[in-house]
Amino acid sequence: MIRLVNVSKNFRDFQLVNISLEIKSGEYFIILGPSGAGKTLILELLAGLLQPDEGRIEGLSTRKVALIYQDYMLFPHLNVQENIGYGLRFRKLSLDERLAKLKAIARELQIEHLLHRQVTTLSGGEKQRVAIARALILQPEVLLLDEPTAALDYGARRQVQQLFARLHRKYRRTFIHVTHDFEEALALGERIALLFKGRIIQQGEPQDVFRRPANREVADFLGYKNVFSGRIENHRLELNGLAIFTPVARAARAHLAIRSNEIIISRRRIQSSARNSFRGRIKEIYPHLNTVEVVVDVGVELAVDITPQSYQEMGLAEGDQVFVTFKTTSVRVFEY
Amino acid sequence: MRFRAVFGFLGFLLVLFVALPILRMFWGAEGDQLLEAAAQAEVRSAIFLTLRASLWATLLALFLGIPLAYLLARLDFKGKQLIEGLIDLPVVIPHTAAGIALLLVWGRHSLFSRATGWTMAGTEAGITLAMLFVSLPFLVNGAKEGFRLVDVRLENTARTLGATPFQAFWTVSLPLAKKSILSGAIMMWARGISEFGAVVILAYHPLTAPVLIFERFQNFGLRSATPVAVLLLLLSLLVIVFLRAVVERR
Repeated sequence: MIRLVNVSKNFRDFQLVNISLEIKSGEYFIILGPSGAGKTLILELLAGLLQPDEGRIEGLSTRKVALIYQDYMLFPHLNVQENIGYGLRFRKLSLDERLAKLKAIARELQIEHLLHRQVTTLSGGEKQRVAIARALILQPEVLLLDEPTAALDYGARRQVQQLFARLHRKYRRTFIHVTHDFEEALALGERIALLFKGRIIQQGEPQDVFRRPANREVADFLGYKNVFSGRIENHRLELNGLAIFTPVARAARAHLAIRSNEIIISRRRIQSSARNSFRGRIKEIYPHLNTVEVVVDVGVELAVDITPQSYQEMGLAEGDQVFVTFKTTSVRVFEY
Repeated sequence: MRFRAVFGFLGFLLVLFVALPILRMFWGAEGDQLLEAAAQAEVRSAIFLTLRASLWATLLALFLGIPLAYLLARLDFKGKQLIEGLIDLPVVIPHTAAGIALLLVWGRHSLFSRATGWTMAGTEAGITLAMLFVSLPFLVNGAKEGFRLVDVRLENTARTLGATPFQAFWTVSLPLAKKSILSGAIMMWARGISEFGAVVILAYHPLTAPVLIFERFQNFGLRSATPVAVLLLLLSLLVIVFLRAVVERR
């Protein structure tokens, strides 16, 4: 178990404040947050490259940690083989042992054909594999991953994510992976911590965090498109003459968020137990890769994500009258 | 095209300004005079002393200047700007003034001399010190820029792969900054060769080539000084072009 206990750190103009985390041995742990939240700084503290100003880090030997930075940080003056074997220089191993380890890890990561290439000639995905090989050859107990897919295109990103999942299943090392991509966090993380402006805002299992964001900032970051503010009385929040039923009975001032993929859009009013059902008019339509975002004006603007198939079947167009329906439980309320 | 023509013309004027005196000097030097000068022991000794002392100065600056350049590139600390200003100072002060300052610290009547019984005045070591003082900004600043261009995360990565800070420096930072350091060293060496003002005050003797040129010009006129100047220039040019080619190829 790795414990960060009330860790604070001032670094240049940035502050990490009172960070407390518990990361289980062998866990795939994600630190999720926007750019500039302090994610890399936490990794550098865990790697022992920086020392906390306050607090302590327990259960971690820096000699058993490997850090992979976002831009891979391959040594440009060394070729692939020399990069992968770099850390072995500092271990007491014979040349044969080094070569055996090198070949084994190259085979594992399918980069044997790259061993004599200059690193500057590699693609982003290949560089990432070389960086992983260079770290894993030392058999670290903890692998620190700093936005490892941020510089990759979509296809390579998927491949690298699958590679991390496979490596984690195979080696059961502790992976601490920082990212700003929630989909990546959902795909890989067993638990996540949300980091905003140098503070941990929320921790838990990815689905839990996603379904129950702790505050409006988190909701915005997680891509909640429908976030409103107001006063709740008798389980109702009044907005421009619209009454949204909420799971919270009363709150003087509250934000509420409705997930755009939990709203149903229909040509006719749906008979269901869902208490929130409104008539409106389609204002805008934005096709995305896997979804179509339909913005419906029901007095306020509600963004609804539907599948391209549903969109085509319903033949929706801007200006059409439609109904939007969602359950009270789809409404997340943050009081403040 | 017009843009390039205008810029090309302006650049050509400057190149001409530099090239003209040098070409004129070569033009004025006759082959037999050059050979005669090269055959003189005093000339050969002065030229080799100049090249050698500047080389010692450069090696000393590499040894002491690289750590300083690295710290200046990597760390922010109080007084950093003062140190950077001090390093650049020899570029802006008159070198005769630098010579006087050096004489006060290293000369016959200095504290150093009284404490140790040694003096740098009138010695090859003194010439080396004078060259070191006036030309070290080229090396320190070149190395500093070189280290700045090395991403600190490369060093961090080396550290997490088991390298100590020294090992990370030797195996990552230094090789990656090597080109800038060598360029700075070549510039420093070249600048050291040409030094006159500080050398002439701290160590008039033994004669370096610039001092010999000055002395011959003073005592025997232009015809006597020119062959020595041409020889020094030719030799320096050859070495610098060779070293630059080596650095560029790496």
